[in-house]
Amino acid sequence: MKTICVIAAYNDAQYIGRVVNDAKKLVDEVIVVNDGSSDETVRLAREAGALVATLAINRGQGSALRLGTRLALDRGAEIIIHFDGDGQFQAKDLPKFIQVLEAGQAEMVLGSRFIDHSTMMPATKKYLLMPLARFFNSLFGIQLTDPQSGFRAFSRASAAKLNWQQDRMAHCTEILHLAHSAGLVIVEVPITVIYHQYGQKLSGGLKIISDTLLAKLNK
Amino acid sequence: MLQSSIALVIIILFIFRLAWQNYHRQVTRAEYSFWLSFWFVSAMLVLFIKDIDRLVAALGFSGSGIQILLYLAVALLFSQIFRLRLKMELMERNITKLTEDKAAIEFKKSNK
Repeated sequence: MKTICVIAAYNDAQYIGRVVNDAKKLVDEVIVVNDGSSDETVRLAREAGALVATLAINRGQGSALRLGTRLALDRGAEIIIHFDGDGQFQAKDLPKFIQVLEAGQAEMVLGSRFIDHSTMMPATKKYLLMPLARFFNSLFGIQLTDPQSGFRAFSRASAAKLNWQQDRMAHCTEILHLAHSAGLVIVEVPITVIYHQYGQKLSGGLKIISDTLLAKLNK
Repeated sequence: MLQSSIALVIIILFIFRLAWQNYHRQVTRAEYSFWLSFWFVSAMLVLFIKDIDRLVAALGFSGSGIQILLYLAVALLFSQIFRLRLKMELMERNITKLTEDKAAIEFKKSNK
């Protein structure tokens, strides 16, 4: 099955070359969506063998992944995988996603940092932010070990179905809610994340909630 | 009475300033109309503050007319800020749509 890995990248020159090199060995094509980077991300991604789309101004990870998904569908992808350009996700985990979708066991696969406990996560994130995220999602009936995971894969049909509107970090929550509402079969697979930086803080979590509510009111 | 007089003097000063700005074309027609109406309504509220006090009491509020006007002004400001945020959110979405479409066209051109 034609598999395309979509990588959202913003000023990821330090990692993007290695990320693309590692990913392209395991998938058919790699699309890097440069989210208005001001560094060498585009050149390095191209040199590593990725197809590169460029958003002229920074619009956020949700927007970059939406564009990448649309381009992947146009190129006939049957499996679309969302991946980060900052080197925190490990390409060695990609086959797990592909296997589940190829076997028809799920329509959407989510990477979870809490299945095999191989991820060394900052304590406040592990014991404060993640339980809060789980609780917030459980209010909507979503019971997953890692609802904020950005490492995900879709079958072609499910990717075409999920039309998320959030441009920035709230896309994660929105994609999950759309998938849940569409009744997609979601399976979690264990992943390892290596943290170079803290990532989403509590203020980021509150921003996600306010963006989600604002979008609901704007419908 | 003294407070009302001071408020009226301030409002008249602002109206003069507005007229001067309009004469020198420093405000648009729409801005001029909006601010003129705003100061006119403010002057009316100051002139009829006793009637507003009576109206507010008749409606069962414990505060004075000016307090109720202040509460209403704050509520109005909040609602306007909220509307502005919704509008900005919509504009952001449109900007994103245009940016994505432009990127998609360029991508397809270079990867035929």
